[in-house]
Amino acid sequence: MRKSVIIIIAKQLWKNAFRSKVLHVTLTLAIILITFAAYSGWKNYKDQNRIRNFYQEEARHSWESNPDKHPHRMAHYGSFAFRLKHKLSLFDFGMENYIGNAVFLEAHKQNTINFSEASLSTGLLRFGEINLAMLLKVIFPLLIFYLGFGVIANERENSTLKIMITQGASWNEILFGKSLGLIVLSMLFFIPVMVLTLLFISTTENYTITFAEMLRFFILIITYLLFYGILSIITILVSATSTTAKNSLIKLLGIWLIFIIILPKTLQALGYYLYPTPSKIEFESIVENDLIKEGDSHNPDDAHYKTIRDSVLLANNVTSVDQLPFNYGGFIMNESEKISSAIYNKHQKDLFNIYKNQNTIERFSALINPYTAIKHISMAFSGTDFASYIDFQHQAERYRYQLAQKMNTLQMEFIPNKRTDKPNRIDKSHWKAFPDFKYDFLSIGSILKNEFLSIFSLILWSILSIIIMIRLSKKAKAI
Amino acid sequence: MYSILFKSFIRSKIAIISIVLLMGVGLISILLGKQFIQKQEKAISEAELFQKESIKRNVMYHNDDIGLLLYYLRFSLIKEPNNLTGLSIGQRDVNPSIQTVTIRGLEGQKYDTDFENPSLLLSGNLDLGFVIIYLFPLVLIALTFNLFSEEKERKTWRLIASQTASTVNFLYKKLTIRVLFLYMILIVLFLLAISILQIPINEALLAFISISVFYLAFWTSLCFLVVSFQKNSSFNALALLSVWITLTILFPAIVNNYVMNTYPVPEALRTMIEQRDGYHEKWDEAKEVTMDNFFAHYPQYKKYPVPKDKFSWLWYYGMQQMGDDESRESSKEMKEKILLRESISQTIATIIPTMHTQLMFNQITQTDLNNHMQFLDHLDKFHEELRLYFYPKIFENYLVKNEDWSKFKPKIALIQNHINWGKSIYSLLFITLLISFLTFLNLRKI
Repeated sequence: MRKSVIIIIAKQLWKNAFRSKVLHVTLTLAIILITFAAYSGWKNYKDQNRIRNFYQEEARHSWESNPDKHPHRMAHYGSFAFRLKHKLSLFDFGMENYIGNAVFLEAHKQNTINFSEASLSTGLLRFGEINLAMLLKVIFPLLIFYLGFGVIANERENSTLKIMITQGASWNEILFGKSLGLIVLSMLFFIPVMVLTLLFISTTENYTITFAEMLRFFILIITYLLFYGILSIITILVSATSTTAKNSLIKLLGIWLIFIIILPKTLQALGYYLYPTPSKIEFESIVENDLIKEGDSHNPDDAHYKTIRDSVLLANNVTSVDQLPFNYGGFIMNESEKISSAIYNKHQKDLFNIYKNQNTIERFSALINPYTAIKHISMAFSGTDFASYIDFQHQAERYRYQLAQKMNTLQMEFIPNKRTDKPNRIDKSHWKAFPDFKYDFLSIGSILKNEFLSIFSLILWSILSIIIMIRLSKKAKAI
Repeated sequence: MYSILFKSFIRSKIAIISIVLLMGVGLISILLGKQFIQKQEKAISEAELFQKESIKRNVMYHNDDIGLLLYYLRFSLIKEPNNLTGLSIGQRDVNPSIQTVTIRGLEGQKYDTDFENPSLLLSGNLDLGFVIIYLFPLVLIALTFNLFSEEKERKTWRLIASQTASTVNFLYKKLTIRVLFLYMILIVLFLLAISILQIPINEALLAFISISVFYLAFWTSLCFLVVSFQKNSSFNALALLSVWITLTILFPAIVNNYVMNTYPVPEALRTMIEQRDGYHEKWDEAKEVTMDNFFAHYPQYKKYPVPKDKFSWLWYYGMQQMGDDESRESSKEMKEKILLRESISQTIATIIPTMHTQLMFNQITQTDLNNHMQFLDHLDKFHEELRLYFYPKIFENYLVKNEDWSKFKPKIALIQNHINWGKSIYSLLFITLLISFLTFLNLRKI
């Protein structure tokens, strides 16, 4: 293989592309779409985070301005967690609009995360949304196919391929050169997207950008480059193995439809069919039945809580709860919160495992479908994937648990066991001392671990496509 | 002539692929619809059992205090699926069809969601509506893009031109065979759906089928328009697929982004906070603050005395009521905003057949956003009726054992659905006729 020949062939593809009207039309269209997608992603990120931050502060303000009161009142007063968007969600919306944005956190009760964008939208949302990643994943591959379907097939049809080969170009050089040319051409679409993304993520929060955000962005660039490499090579391979340009086009359009539109959706639906989700009411009855088995803290004759009381009395060497050095009510609530949230978490984990099973088939299809691989990588590093959603739920629940237990501990410490004439209150400074909910995004290490399969299959595909190209060059025919 | 054209078509590879694809995915979609309905029906029977048992258990534990008992008791309102729902699941996977509430503040319970896998919601339901809106046009494109150009490229066109009286008629015949073939598949799928989902033959079903028929007619006219320009196969394939992407992906997605960004719903979050603060802050205020407002809302309860220096259920439920009353304005604004989103989407959809068809499907199968908002209205009413029934009993400390608790079964919300035939079909019909007219003008030149 001679480098100079490869470069000449690549340059020739580039020149030919600019001569055709198709490129001008697609490029204009692409630029309009990119501008729209970048603007609306940025605006959505900015507006939503502003709204959520505002109400998070509002809620915090009400929390802090509570007067002196019984800590258990504060446990019921509760707090909110509003899900903040990751900066890169302006690049890839992922599941953003299908997951809830706000949850009320209170003692004894795990509330659902409500007000997903989908729940406030019409059925049109199912057509999808426009965002930069969607353009890169769904729309631009088709443009690459448009631009590349005839690259070799056309030359075959008008016999220039024969001439190239008789003039000494090897198949190897032709395939590599054409692929290189198409990859470079695809950068016309790719680079503006990435430049705009960088521009928006680096300017949106007072021009600050963290190292983690840069690293995520950098990984996105690398993986998308691999994806575009694979796409370009597939286009060239199909073009090289088709007798006419028309056949090549039809094949590529078929590939696009099956791998990007039909297969992912069908596999996801299949997963759901095989592992149905229990209904909410079913879930709640199971949790409630388990709770009843553990005993009812509201029932004074309950055996479980009677045993606890007796052992507590024994341990403290006293005969009645009034003599305990801490508030017995707070202690019991502490115990029951521990038990009830452990039961809830166990069942919620089962539920999440059902979800994971539902997703498995589609996720494993990344091995045969590079689109699925890049789809998951892109969502994961943009903080809009399934794992981020689960992570938010966990963090919100952990905060809820801490809040309830903190209030129970305060009650144990400061509220006397004997009823007095004075109302039982503690100082309001305790409210301020309890920190507000703060959401931390997943670490890059854990994302890499979650997306191991997707990254592996993307690399596998890159290697495979080059191997197939080398193989093909040995037996390809010019006619 | 027709029989020869039909034979040559049905033997082609593309005809076989079309049947396999449409029938295969179509059947899967119907089965998924069936599964969805079964899941909902199962949930309904579970809700009935759950309510019965939890009332029984709570009545046993709290038999001496009706105020405390009603703190715990939960009552379900149910939106039944009709069998058509399986054809177009719409927003029913996002929005719950069963709402279970206590008589405490409603705003804190009203928006609770169901559990669903977000990956599934993102990829969307594979229902028959999807097959009709996305896949049928694709297959139609695959069958017709080279209607004329394949003859030209195979160099059979001149032969045909010399042997048929009218070349345009020849094209019509070819088109007719392909389109009738698709309509046959559509009819078979509907027959399957009717028998598998046990859909009653009624106006709603007819409307659903009619819209499907008109929707396909729209695509037929569009494909034939592109063919009538007599370009080569590659150009036609590119052009038609681009139109398909524009109509099924780009336009709807752009409209989504526009609606989402132009009309954000911060009222939702505000309602949550106001509800909490409206109720909880009353604990720290004088009882009069709550009771004055409560009696202003419900003057009929003024006659009940409020104990000054101790807890009473009258005061407690009064405070709960304040949570609802103080967030009412925001809640109303949120509802208006959501309905505004709906009406704007509908207006834009009128000129975009794909979106229009989707919204109409959802409306007919009662899975649209509007239907959910009506369900929430029913929930308001249901909750208010419960309150009005139990408030006096609580305030009078009615004996738990005197109440017939077995009569509280989950209630079914009956939501009326009118089928607006004109709105459903006019815009599709008008766009189809317009395109057909353009095609006619084009074909006169042949």
